[in-house]
Amino acid sequence: MPGTRPPDRRTAPVVLVGVLLVALASCERRGGCTGDYCGALVFAAAGEPDILLPPVTQQAYARDVLEQIFLKLADLGPSGNTVGDEDFRPLLAERWEWDGPLTLVFHVDPRARWQDGQPVNAADVVFTFDIYTDSLVNSPYRSSLRSIGAVTARDSLTAVFRFRTRYPEMFYDAVYHMRMLPAHLLRTVPRDQWRSAGFGRAPVGSGPYRFVSWKAGQSIELAADSTSFLGRPHIRRLIWRFTPDLQVAVTQTVAGDADAVDVLGPPDNVKRAKGAPDLVTYPYRGAVYGFLGFNLAAGGDTNKPHPLFGDRELRRALAMVVDRQALLKNVWGDLAQVPPGPLARIWSIWDPATRELPYDTAQGRRLLTRLGWRDSDGDGILERDGQPLAFRILVPTTSGLRRQYARLLQQQFRAAGADVQLDEVEFSVFDERTQAGRFDAALVTRTVDPTPSSSIAQVWTSAGRSNAGHYANPVFDRLVDEARAATGRDEAKRQWRRALETLNQDAPAVFLFAPDNVAAVHRRVAGVTIRPDSYWALVRLWRIPADQLTERDRMEP
Amino acid sequence: MTAWLVRRLAAAMAIVFAVVTITFCVIHLAHGTPFLPGPDQDVDPQVVARLRQQFGLDRPLPAQYVKYLWALLHGELGESFYLRRPVADALADAIPPTVTLAGAALLIDFLLGLACGVYQAVRARRFADIALGNLALFLNAMPTFWLGLVLLLVFGQWLRWFPVAGMRDPVLCPTIAGARCTVDVLWHLALPALTLGLVGAAGTARYQRAAMLEVIDQDFVRTARAKGLGEGRVVLVHTLRNALLPLITLFGLAFPFLLTGAVLVETVFAWPGMGRLSVAAILQRDYPVVVAAALVASAMVTLGNLLADVLYAVADPRIRARSERA
Amino acid sequence: MNLGKWLALAAAGAVALLAAAAVRRRAAASAAGRRFLAHPTATPGVFILAFFVTIALAAPFVALDPNSMPGIVDLRDRPPSVLHPLGTDVYSRDVWSRIVYGARISLGIGALATLVAVTVGAGVGAVAGYFRRWVDAALMRLVDVGLSMPRIFLLLMAVALWERVPLAPLVLLIGLTGWFGTSRLVRAEVLSLREREFVAAAQALGAGPARVIFRHVLPNAAAPIIVSAALGIGNVMLLEAGLSFLGIGVPSPAPSWGSLIYDGWQHMAAAPWTSTFPGLAIALVVMALNAVGDALRDALDPRQEGP
Repeated sequence: MPGTRPPDRRTAPVVLVGVLLVALASCERRGGCTGDYCGALVFAAAGEPDILLPPVTQQAYARDVLEQIFLKLADLGPSGNTVGDEDFRPLLAERWEWDGPLTLVFHVDPRARWQDGQPVNAADVVFTFDIYTDSLVNSPYRSSLRSIGAVTARDSLTAVFRFRTRYPEMFYDAVYHMRMLPAHLLRTVPRDQWRSAGFGRAPVGSGPYRFVSWKAGQSIELAADSTSFLGRPHIRRLIWRFTPDLQVAVTQTVAGDADAVDVLGPPDNVKRAKGAPDLVTYPYRGAVYGFLGFNLAAGGDTNKPHPLFGDRELRRALAMVVDRQALLKNVWGDLAQVPPGPLARIWSIWDPATRELPYDTAQGRRLLTRLGWRDSDGDGILERDGQPLAFRILVPTTSGLRRQYARLLQQQFRAAGADVQLDEVEFSVFDERTQAGRFDAALVTRTVDPTPSSSIAQVWTSAGRSNAGHYANPVFDRLVDEARAATGRDEAKRQWRRALETLNQDAPAVFLFAPDNVAAVHRRVAGVTIRPDSYWALVRLWRIPADQLTERDRMEP
Repeated sequence: MTAWLVRRLAAAMAIVFAVVTITFCVIHLAHGTPFLPGPDQDVDPQVVARLRQQFGLDRPLPAQYVKYLWALLHGELGESFYLRRPVADALADAIPPTVTLAGAALLIDFLLGLACGVYQAVRARRFADIALGNLALFLNAMPTFWLGLVLLLVFGQWLRWFPVAGMRDPVLCPTIAGARCTVDVLWHLALPALTLGLVGAAGTARYQRAAMLEVIDQDFVRTARAKGLGEGRVVLVHTLRNALLPLITLFGLAFPFLLTGAVLVETVFAWPGMGRLSVAAILQRDYPVVVAAALVASAMVTLGNLLADVLYAVADPRIRARSERA
Repeated sequence: MNLGKWLALAAAGAVALLAAAAVRRRAAASAAGRRFLAHPTATPGVFILAFFVTIALAAPFVALDPNSMPGIVDLRDRPPSVLHPLGTDVYSRDVWSRIVYGARISLGIGALATLVAVTVGAGVGAVAGYFRRWVDAALMRLVDVGLSMPRIFLLLMAVALWERVPLAPLVLLIGLTGWFGTSRLVRAEVLSLREREFVAAAQALGAGPARVIFRHVLPNAAAPIIVSAALGIGNVMLLEAGLSFLGIGVPSPAPSWGSLIYDGWQHMAAAPWTSTFPGLAIALVVMALNAVGDALRDALDPRQEGP
């Protein structure tokens, strides 16, 4: 370019600004935290909590954070047993006793304090029960507390629970669903405004971690309460980073931007995590099972059986032609198992000896032929009375796993002579159509509670609220009631096995997978234990040894 | 002039009102019921019924619409179904990140586009011009979110030069305010702003090149050259000033583009802005948030156009006279 | 991909070359055509478009079955090889085949939706420009409303009016949300054209408004309409890609290029080619359309300089 221009006239300011930025960036306070009580742990979460107020949210992401801030009276032990009270660990209640078959008395730990300094007392327990069961508050846990008649305070540290009936999981219902709330801070909130109360964005609890900040859409930060009566947590700061989906969460953890992710999910992600040198993987029992549910009632009307799936023999035949082990190997590798019924890995009633329909294509085809399905025009699709054996599988677009299963199932059914088309819809439409019964078959993934009493009953008994396929068998209902009344673990296992064997013979669904989850946590964290029903429940026991502290661990907030 | 301004403002408000009405109707008629959890979770029908009653979803549509308008006129945007907070709060948290992203993208857009367009005009029809021109054509043609994905893959995952998602590092940023936090946000801002900015810069460069070519041959430039002024001065002082007018048009055009482009780019980079908020709200059928987002978006676009028109009128008296006649 | 398919692909390339050469010859004969050819990117653009249209039409000859999943365990996420020139996706489907069949869907949606948009836009613009006064004011207010709302926003909601939007309503929706710009352009042209003598002559001869608009005014306003269409197809393709990326849009398993990117998004770490190549295809086609559109603009209306 003609004309001269001194070369450093424009470049000098740029260099200067660059040097300044670098200098500022590297400027940090030397020193920081040292010792055993430092550490900043970053969780990569695939979603954001809706509100941090225990009675009004059922979300798993909210539960992860609430677990650190709010305590229950007692919680599940490592065995996960929900029957009786021997396997529970005391938290806010230091001890309890039975004052008769229907009366349970809790003694609140006198050392327990709310994070604003006030002591925790029985009035808080009474208030909490009142809130959870108030119809104005509209808590989703309200129906789980139906069998508790009343909660009263005998004195300032003694709370009395009175039950309506006797059943094996009374203690579980008394302690598991409710997290104790500070009455003195929440009494003034109008009952119909609990759903979006401001307290839920700046909560105060009695747990080992205090709330610090919540940046909407970005992160939540908690700080350890050094005066917690359960013992001072070793890790000083807990931070949740929100990502829009699991893939990004795993990428962040592998890249080192986060320290832990609770459920890695598909085998690809597990492989990536195992390949990362700084991560350790922790497998644990999963609380999920997936199935292809048949719709037994057309359009949700129980008086009108579905033209195809109202027929028990057809369901059995179709269930028999699916090679569930092969599908599992393709999609999950060795990270999941085929459940012998509506079972999740977390349940102790998981019995591999449960009798179910075998994978037997030949028998399935014979059954189909016996029912009158023949391929009369040679197109590979069976027909009967002019009607082809055709149906649609409903899948949500958001789950890559279920989409994969849908395609594999389509292939397998086609090989058996059924013409299967896929309906891939967005999740809100999926929810709406399954609730309304507007589907033939749907791929459902079900998250379960630590006990099968509620989970199996909700989905598979005729009175169950989530029975989208409208499966109804009075024999099965009776067996479920008997199983729920079983008092010993072995007896419960036997009873549930009988009930599920009955269900399996009716083939209301094809049970496809029950995964074992894998979590990934950074190498420097010691003492990691993961509770399958609430993954980060034991974080207060984890620690980062002083010689493993990174620069971020040492940073003063 | 004032009468014209008042008329335009009234027209702007009417437009926003129409947009709100259309959005309200469409989203309420869409499939998918709010508050209905799927078969993956237990649904207590009593809880659902109470929620629907609480938010007025059991009333007929016209009644809901009137109630919404009445609240809107009082400045109430309603409460989000799923975010458990007033819609105004959710928007207040989401708008600054979008504005930051749009601002950074516009900066990259104009600076890069201007520089590129000027350079191309000066080197017209030679190799640099043709090469840059084709590059601009290519950049302008690609889907913005795809460019974002590719940049994320190369610079975020493979090279690890930039972060993979989000707006800031939660460990660094609330810890130390000031310089370190700003640098951290800028570092997170780099890839998304580059994605939006590059595609826009390609368009701006083409525009600017054409505008400058139009001016560069005119008499007054040749006179300046003849007078012996240096080439750089000629280019910068004389031609650029006259070619700046189209930039104002571009500003008005860029705004809606950035809002739409931002929707997809925010999704790719997990940027906590309005685009992500709107998309999530539509997919979840969070009615109050959807309508409020439409209101804000159309208000921004309409006001942006108005601003562009005002700037135009101020800059060029001929246009002002013409617009007053129209 | 076997030998026969590679040969067919080569043949398709040859056909596209011939088409481009034929266009060149025809164009060199007229002044407008020469202006068109003066753009160095015009001929390559025509070639690229001809190539994609050819392979879309000849899809069964140049590609395998886009929906077949030959080895859903062993063949998933394979990098590009001779057998699968662009690799396989997570369901072991051949990416090249899906792109070829996807060309049918994406180009088809682009062309049809643009047809709808340009027709409605030209019609509205012509009516507004011809009748002026309150008709013009009313229609232009409608255009303002349409332009002030982000298009993808409106489409996201409108698509939700169906549980699973079929192709025809999707095309109509995309078209009906995109005519606003064209109407403004056409209106400007008509406003200036209606003052010309030939319009007065037609009116003096007793022609009604419809006849004047369709027989006399619109043909002379063809230039902005054609350019709008060429550039509009590109916009529609980008828009359709965006919609599919958000999980709506063309329903599975139809391999529109946008849904190919969506399918591969979750596997970018393991198999980046599944999302990269469809995006590249979109970029190539849209680039060609923009180049041809620009050249057309200069060819048909030499008065206008620049975009």
